[in-house]
Amino acid sequence: MAIAFCLASCSPPKTLYSWDYYSHISHAYIKRSGDEKATERLIKTYQQIIDRQKGTRKTVPPGIYADYGFLLLQTDQTEKGIAMLKKETELYPESGIFIERVLKMYEE
Amino acid sequence: MNRIVLLVSFAGAVLLSGCSSKLLPKATAYKGFYEEKPVSVLIMPPINKTANVDAKEFFHTTLNVPLANAGYYVIPPFLSMEILKQESAYDAELFLEAPLSKFGDVFGADLALFTIIHRWEKASLLGTITVEIEYLFKSVKTNEVVYQRRGQINVNNANTNYGQSSPLGLLIGLVATAVQTAATDHAVVGLACNNATLQDLPAGKYSPLNGNDAKQAAGEKVFKMSINGNAVATQNMAVWYSKYTKSK
Repeated sequence: MAIAFCLASCSPPKTLYSWDYYSHISHAYIKRSGDEKATERLIKTYQQIIDRQKGTRKTVPPGIYADYGFLLLQTDQTEKGIAMLKKETELYPESGIFIERVLKMYEE
Repeated sequence: MNRIVLLVSFAGAVLLSGCSSKLLPKATAYKGFYEEKPVSVLIMPPINKTANVDAKEFFHTTLNVPLANAGYYVIPPFLSMEILKQESAYDAELFLEAPLSKFGDVFGADLALFTIIHRWEKASLLGTITVEIEYLFKSVKTNEVVYQRRGQINVNNANTNYGQSSPLGLLIGLVATAVQTAATDHAVVGLACNNATLQDLPAGKYSPLNGNDAKQAAGEKVFKMSINGNAVATQNMAVWYSKYTKSK
């Protein structure tokens, strides 16, 4: 099983999911925590992965809705954040245990 | 074109390293996967054994991609890191030999992925980056190691495009090498390392190969590989990265 080393710019990847520049942008976000631009870029990346998904499964990858939701919660977009967390459990039922726990934390 | 070169060099390097010893089929080397059929993986915070303080965080953001691409449900990395920190479970080394059932209860994980960064060295003038990373998957139910590989990867950026015939040419070559090595994105090196190692991971639930790859060869448990950095850090990425870091 070849894991194609693929960038956002390439024609349909043969991997299950497309990731845009996720690894670079999320690592830049961690490196400069609190930086507004880094946060904006990460939000845009999540949106790209969700709205312009080009992988063979034609589905949003695991963890993306949830981490996007988490970031939204941290930037005071609570309603949308909770909606994204719930989307994660709809798409990936195995995430239920964990996401329920997180939702409880924020609904307190 | 670069991607094809990289894929070929991966394939070639893996084949070469495999020629010298018999490779086990995945069903033997990784039988825990085929017995338990795990669905979800929790990425534990990387264990950094190097003096390079940044190695851990650079590496952490690259792990979920190959796991998801292999068909596993990956517990959301940012969320799980946050919860692990809150539960004082951020030092993964504490859990290497400890029972893992709590991670099943809290995260719904079937597997925990431990990574140990043994080496992360840059020699800028020589133009090489050397990383050595060990990957261990442990079953949360049985605490057994179901997958273990350790790879030493050399990323070689040595720029030989400039003429050796003049002092100026040599100097330009050295500087270009140093700059490229400095700019070679840590995420890129992390990605390359992950792909080189995890290419033999049994296919997970969401992969069309799930259950059908038992006879494929597993990689060697310990291996070495050289990668041409010019293929890894493509021009676009190096330019993007250098622009982004300048804006600080």
